[in-house]
Amino acid sequence: MNDQQLIRNVVVVGGGTAGWMTAAALSKILKGKVSITVVESEEIGTVGVGEATIPMIQRFNQVLEIDEDEFMRETQATFKLAIEFVNWGKLGDRYMHGFGRIGQALGTVPFEHYWRKLYMAGKAGELADYSITRAAAAKGRFMRPVTDAGNSPLAEIAYAFHFDAALYARYLRKYSEGRGVTRVEGRIVDAKLSGLSGRVESVVLADGRSVPGDLFIDCSGFRGLLIEQVLHTGYEDWSHWLPCDRAIAVPCENAPQLLPYTRSTAHAAGWQWRIPLQHRIGNGHVFSSRFMDEAEAQRILLANLDGKPLAEPRTLKFVTGMRKKAWNRNVVSIGLASGFMEPLESTSIHMVQTAVARLIEFFPSAGFDQADIDEYNKQSRFEFERIRDFLILHYHANQRDDSEFWRYCREMPIPDTLTAKIELYQRNGRIVREGAELFAEVGWLQVMHGQNLRAQGYHPLADLIDEAETNDYLQSVREVIARCVDVMPTHEEYIAKHCRSA
Amino acid sequence: MPAAPLQDIVIVGGGTAGWMTALGLATVVGDRYRIRLVESDEIGIVGVGEATIPLIQRFNRIVGIAENDFLRETGGTFKLGIEFVNWGRMGDRYMHGFGRIGQDVWTVGFEQYWHRMRTLGRARPLGDYAITQQAARANRFMPARPEPANSPLADIAYAYHFDAGRYARYLRRLAEARGVRRTEGRITRATQAPSGDVDAVVLESGELIAGELFIDCSGFRALLIEQTLQTGFDDWSHWLPCDRALAVPCESAAVLTPYTRSTAHRAGWQWRIPLQHRIGNGHVYCSSHVSDDEAAATLLAHLDGKPLADPRPLRFKAGVRRKAWNRNVVAIGLSGGFLEPLESTSIHLIQQAIQLLIDFFPDRGFSAADIDEFNRQNRFHWERIRDFIVLHYHVNQREDSAFWRDCAAMSVPDSLREKMDLYKAHGRVFRFNGELFTETAWLQVMAGQNLMPESFHPFAALQPEDKVHDYLEAVHRAVENSVALMPGHADYIARHCAAPVQPQGHP
Repeated sequence: MNDQQLIRNVVVVGGGTAGWMTAAALSKILKGKVSITVVESEEIGTVGVGEATIPMIQRFNQVLEIDEDEFMRETQATFKLAIEFVNWGKLGDRYMHGFGRIGQALGTVPFEHYWRKLYMAGKAGELADYSITRAAAAKGRFMRPVTDAGNSPLAEIAYAFHFDAALYARYLRKYSEGRGVTRVEGRIVDAKLSGLSGRVESVVLADGRSVPGDLFIDCSGFRGLLIEQVLHTGYEDWSHWLPCDRAIAVPCENAPQLLPYTRSTAHAAGWQWRIPLQHRIGNGHVFSSRFMDEAEAQRILLANLDGKPLAEPRTLKFVTGMRKKAWNRNVVSIGLASGFMEPLESTSIHMVQTAVARLIEFFPSAGFDQADIDEYNKQSRFEFERIRDFLILHYHANQRDDSEFWRYCREMPIPDTLTAKIELYQRNGRIVREGAELFAEVGWLQVMHGQNLRAQGYHPLADLIDEAETNDYLQSVREVIARCVDVMPTHEEYIAKHCRSA
Repeated sequence: MPAAPLQDIVIVGGGTAGWMTALGLATVVGDRYRIRLVESDEIGIVGVGEATIPLIQRFNRIVGIAENDFLRETGGTFKLGIEFVNWGRMGDRYMHGFGRIGQDVWTVGFEQYWHRMRTLGRARPLGDYAITQQAARANRFMPARPEPANSPLADIAYAYHFDAGRYARYLRRLAEARGVRRTEGRITRATQAPSGDVDAVVLESGELIAGELFIDCSGFRALLIEQTLQTGFDDWSHWLPCDRALAVPCESAAVLTPYTRSTAHRAGWQWRIPLQHRIGNGHVYCSSHVSDDEAAATLLAHLDGKPLADPRPLRFKAGVRRKAWNRNVVAIGLSGGFLEPLESTSIHLIQQAIQLLIDFFPDRGFSAADIDEFNRQNRFHWERIRDFIVLHYHVNQREDSAFWRDCAAMSVPDSLREKMDLYKAHGRVFRFNGELFTETAWLQVMAGQNLMPESFHPFAALQPEDKVHDYLEAVHRAVENSVALMPGHADYIARHCAAPVQPQGHP
């Protein structure tokens, strides 16, 4: 095969969320010109964390030309406008990280500087009053944005989804198989490497069958079947910054109200997620085994459910960090095989999506050029590190004194990139988003402010508009948002009308 | 609590940088801040950078400059790109046209289909698919227009050539009307507070001008940022060895070209910037490879018309001030660093610094975190532009002089090396974090100087060959048809923005 020839066989190893998202996107783009095989075993369960998403998933759905209502019906999905953080800064604190922007442009400087100026003078409300998604989430309301609403906040309702990850994988499997993807049932026991190039030539199944390929996508989860067990790529451990290493997950019965947001409640040595679906609530307790034993963690989880548990709690072990190279030789790891970060900001599925987009951008030819692979890995690392910083912020910026865990997090050394961000913010409230960093300025702002990190000042040019005018403007934004929320249906009503599961 | 706001801004020097800064700040913050500009009529301005890039339209929009008025006042013309002559090899000729090339229809970008067809011998030169390049070749011009839909006419990106002296005077008038107070005088020294901050500049007349924020637009002299604060300079001349220029205006040629031309010589290159009333020319050269006399002779031998003045020498060193912002002094323009005007970036770098100054505008507290971030971002822009300029020198196949052989053999910055390696594999170009030059700009220069990738994005092969060929041909035809609809550059100027006739011989 000529070095510059098109790859003929792509083999996806593992069929969880990552595997089927990858297969679906590649099948859509390659349109049968390249053979795509997914090898998965029904014996191996999927981790299926990351049932909560961020708004960028809409782009993925658009590329796949997925009908949103259909996808929601098939996956028992609900809408998500925000994440509520409870007990993070201090015990008893409660704030939201809402999607989309906050306020509207007024003058030379970003909205938050006008807001902060008045807030410091005791003349402005909390950020939530100026965010349509936070205001709507707090009232349990939802609707999709109205396209012809001009400047109205109703035109900019940013949303994502909560869904059942197992159903999502099944949905994408159907999608992929409909586009020519071959599914092979079987457990992989070995891989054959080329003596010459060191590339993976085939994977060998327990029954002796062999599945050959030119490009392998390792979606085997934590195990990193090819990227680690076969290629020994190495792993960078970040658990000194993110010390949680276990999660116990359990679904429970629904609560009376269907909330349009994820909730994250901090406990003594970790936090608990709450993800409302149509048919149940997903819950999980992420904790650090250094600071809490498993029995205690399970007891806390079960004591904080909204309804009766629907299954036995299931424990997951992980080490936060990233694979030293997401792409090594002819193996590209996507999903948990490429690294793990806890789902505190619902980034797991997003990172699968960006990895797939990046793979498409840097899709190799048969020769596998190192410059392309290096750039892929560089971009992948940048994405991982910036998300890591954002997660660390949640732990580090705390004022809790009730446990050793929180004291450790507050006092631990943090990455320089995060220190620089915090210092810049603390002086005059400036936040800089670099390159393709995932979280926008308002994402950082909501978490920093929500966890009681205060800037000493604001952009001096916020003073170009006098206080009375600024006040009127903030007041009007707040009123308009309140009025908009009033016309929105409840989350349940909206789902019943558009995408109720059978 | 926030620190108290500052009030007094003093701009030191009134060339292009000084007056752009004055007008920019007067427009944005003029209501609340006192802005003074000190300049001396005795000191000439360098006034390089008479050619610009399309982002200058953003500056004009913010300060409320109307295009036709501005071109009339500055003898300005339109610019659709830069033509590079003799750069890759002697006899080569390519253009870096503004804006995009082709249209994206399938999974990967236009350039990938071009690479595929080129490999198969079925592609035209890249420029045949670019509206700005074709219009430039035909000496035609008009601004972009949205109709008909999907037409290349919507992709006409352009900038300007203008007389920098007149531009500074034009900006001065606007800035003064917005409350900037100009003081005539030569600065003899600056005084510093015990903290080390500059607190005033002292004029020859003895007058003392106090301020809280000083913008050093004093050019190469770097009066405050270097002479007073000794900030330091990072020398990039090992990558960009040209260190002198000779500039001379000459009479206009018969045809008014809507592009800048850069012609490579034995140890440097010559610019040609057509204005309404004259052509600006200059020879940028490396003094260790060519004498001043030879450089002058080469310059004068390559003019389109009679010289209108004696060649004026400039000396410089490529590089950047270690911190553009140090204490309460922000260096904007040549005091902040120097990159030769090969890609017309001088005025853009001024504009970029003004924007960053507004983003990180200080109060009396002068936060170190804000200043550090300003410097980091500013430096990033400088370095990425540097890389792009180094590319032009490095990627050459000329064997006719030691200068070009040295440039081809030099080791380049890592960031440039990575960019070239990535491109060489499959023609991929990645633009990071708002760096100035786009993927298309890099492609035009790399391909224009005969650097071709070994292959192309595999997905460019997903479509049948004839279908891709038809698509490229359709793009070319659409470009040709569009160019046919455009008026001539001279006609367009005559109709919209002809400058009143001025006496010749006035540079």
